[in-house]
Amino acid sequence: MRVVIAEDSGLLRQGLVRLLGDSGFEVVAEAGDGPGLVDAVNRHRPDVCVVDVRMPPTHRDEGLRAALAARSLVPGLPVVILSQYVEERYAGELLESGPEGVGYLLKDRVADVGDFVDALRRVAGGGTVLDPEVVAQLLARRRRDDPLDTLTPREREVIGLMAEGRSNVHIARSLVVTDGAVEKHVRNIFGKLGLPASDSDHRRVLAVLAYLRD
Amino acid sequence: MLAESRSRMVDASIDERRRIERDLHDGAQQRLVALAMDLGMARERMESDPDSARELVDEAHEEAKRALAELRDLVRGIHPAVLTDRGLDAAVSALAGRSQAPVTVSCDVPGRLPEAIESTAYFVVAEGLTNVAKHSRARHAYVNLRLSDAVLCVEIADDGVGGADPAGGSGLRGLGDRVAAVDGSLVLERTAAGRTVLRAEIPCAS
Repeated sequence: MRVVIAEDSGLLRQGLVRLLGDSGFEVVAEAGDGPGLVDAVNRHRPDVCVVDVRMPPTHRDEGLRAALAARSLVPGLPVVILSQYVEERYAGELLESGPEGVGYLLKDRVADVGDFVDALRRVAGGGTVLDPEVVAQLLARRRRDDPLDTLTPREREVIGLMAEGRSNVHIARSLVVTDGAVEKHVRNIFGKLGLPASDSDHRRVLAVLAYLRD
Repeated sequence: MLAESRSRMVDASIDERRRIERDLHDGAQQRLVALAMDLGMARERMESDPDSARELVDEAHEEAKRALAELRDLVRGIHPAVLTDRGLDAAVSALAGRSQAPVTVSCDVPGRLPEAIESTAYFVVAEGLTNVAKHSRARHAYVNLRLSDAVLCVEIADDGVGGADPAGGSGLRGLGDRVAAVDGSLVLERTAAGRTVLRAEIPCAS
């Protein structure tokens, strides 16, 4: 799998190159700023990009903007954004560029190498991956008579994992319940929120995210 | 009166720097020392006792992640990046998203305001929500920001039992000084309906 890395800190860039190399990825280009990322994407058409939000010159959200520019140049380009802070607002801007093949994770998550590599693979395959901290922010937003309040604690756990982009199989494993039990929770959640049922894991994730961001 | 509040403001900023120094020293710095020790011991035992070396590396890994989380919280408390990047609405929504009690936010502030005003308004909301969490046993909080006639009005209301007192609490007095430093005013009141409302009014000359 071919990767482009955009990260202005040399130390972290070296670390990522080594980590991804060890995990069977091929790093085809490294960029240190936004234009460098767009250029590398144009030239290499990678399977996935790993992009730091903060890059020169202003160290605000250049990485996010460059990733959005790269995605409008190469529609559907899989991108994983890494950030020292995750905020729901940035997640929203990223998802608006097309919710498939995007990931948004706290930089710390890189330390759990197995999970991080798994997230990259899922995004490269068109999946959506959101950091649990962003999901917590999404779930905390309330409206009047919110149907979210009618969910049981277990259903809240399930909807949280779905919003992170997890498949039913993964949810069953992490909650230590059967696949059938997860399917039942998902049916109940969709019923309570008035969402149309869907068989595909990914389409369910997108429906849940659209609901939470509404 | 104003001079008094300005001088309290200077004291508050010295206190704040002490607090940051203490948080760094007690938190991330100690964790990094523990982590370096774990790694050092792991290196010694790599050959003779690989199992315990692996345990030490696991511990060091956990310490590193905790240090990162602490640093992130500390830095966010000094100045949140999302406030600079996206303004009040986004930053206040993010605060609400991290609050224990559910929070409903309404923000009617078009465009961006001067940095000092945005930052003051943000910390009013942050302190207001902290008080709601600490004192009021509220089930729900409401944050309202609106700009009208060149005055930014920031309100944090809750349906809890009250208990915050601007004269008694150093947090609220510090906040009052902060608001006064941008020529604003801060009041805490209890409505007839039993709600506690913290309100800041900050003039925004444009």
